[in-house]
Amino acid sequence: MYTLELKVNGQPYKVEVKATANLLEVLRDKLGITSPKVGCETGDCGTCSVILNGKLVKSCLVNALTAQGAEVLTLEGLGRPGALHPLQQAFHEHYAAQCGFCTPGMIMAAKALLDENPQPTKEDVKHYLSGNLCRCTGYVKIVDAVMAAAEEMRR
Amino acid sequence: MGETEFYKANSVKEACDLLAQFGERATLLAGGTDLMVLVNRRQLIPEVLVYIGECGLNYIREEETGLVIGAATPHVEIVRSELVQKKAPLLAKVISTIGSPAIQNQGTIGGNLGNASPAADSAVALLALGASLKLVAAGWERTVPAADFFVGPGKTVLKPGEIIQEIIIPEEAAEYKWAFRKIGKRRADVCPTVSAAVAVKTENGRCKAARIALGSVAPTPLLSKKAPEMLVGKTVDAALIADVAKAVAEETDPIDDVRATAWYRRRASEALVKELLSQVIG
Repeated sequence: MYTLELKVNGQPYKVEVKATANLLEVLRDKLGITSPKVGCETGDCGTCSVILNGKLVKSCLVNALTAQGAEVLTLEGLGRPGALHPLQQAFHEHYAAQCGFCTPGMIMAAKALLDENPQPTKEDVKHYLSGNLCRCTGYVKIVDAVMAAAEEMRR
Repeated sequence: MGETEFYKANSVKEACDLLAQFGERATLLAGGTDLMVLVNRRQLIPEVLVYIGECGLNYIREEETGLVIGAATPHVEIVRSELVQKKAPLLAKVISTIGSPAIQNQGTIGGNLGNASPAADSAVALLALGASLKLVAAGWERTVPAADFFVGPGKTVLKPGEIIQEIIIPEEAAEYKWAFRKIGKRRADVCPTVSAAVAVKTENGRCKAARIALGSVAPTPLLSKKAPEMLVGKTVDAALIADVAKAVAEETDPIDDVRATAWYRRRASEALVKELLSQVIG
């Protein structure tokens, strides 16, 4: 086992991990941070997306020890009940979730996009969310929600 | 077998020393986008992981030999590099189609090559551009043409102890007209069914140099031998393009798999080469 120190949503953690552990299992199983979901574990579905040192990543493909000293942002770090992040509020208002399993990953991908480009076109949004799969509601409302959040955040 | 060991190399020398120490027990780790898939599925339980993602192999620069890209440079940095866009726009275009924004942040060009998938996108671009790879080990280094690097699915000429240090794209690559297309079932995060890149240089209406490379149609990324023989020195017209496309399709050695049949891949190869050559020359 190896000692991994990292910050998640501003909070420092120190955990013992195996050399083969991925960041997703560390977040969920060691730290109890469960918004990143276990979908495919092959990097195809995007439901484990988090922001690592300012960059969007699929946490199932990040070897945990390569995140030594890193700062990780998950959905838990965006907002909370009563004080939602504009993206969370927009997903809520635009009915952009059905079963909700892909939603944390969608919102983190959208957050990474808006950090980089506060004025995206619909095409930009579609491109940036292209690594995230939704298997129930489709993508129209999700794209609408991201566009609305971008507008709200520019005010 | 004991637990997997993990070592982070802080320099290229350290990486080489670790590989010399552990030999074939070592598995290289950079972005993890290929390796962690196998590890997550328990298809691979490495004895020793040597992490080379932060050992000083992240760079893009111009040297006398041409455009030089460090092996651990993430895809996103290659796509966004003004130098790459100017000196090797084909490479920037091809790499922009790899994965999705997250995978672009994570995966590296050296990983894409070292993994040696017959479908590797960056390999197709580098073959078309006449690139070479500089390999380094504790005590030696050598440079091999990209065309000689791949041996079979997952297999390269890398010897135990060697890592890919950098990719070298010759200066003249900027003079080529190029086109690329890949066929897949999804735009993002897809392993292509067939991909092809063409790079052609013309002078006074005649073809001066040509390279055609394809992915997912042979045990390795494929560089056509016949295309340059048929094209160089000729005035290229529709009839010649059709002949070249047919000849290249005959050079392929595809398989049936979950993505497509060999029959489809051969036909798609011919169609792609025809389309891309027409785009570049027509």
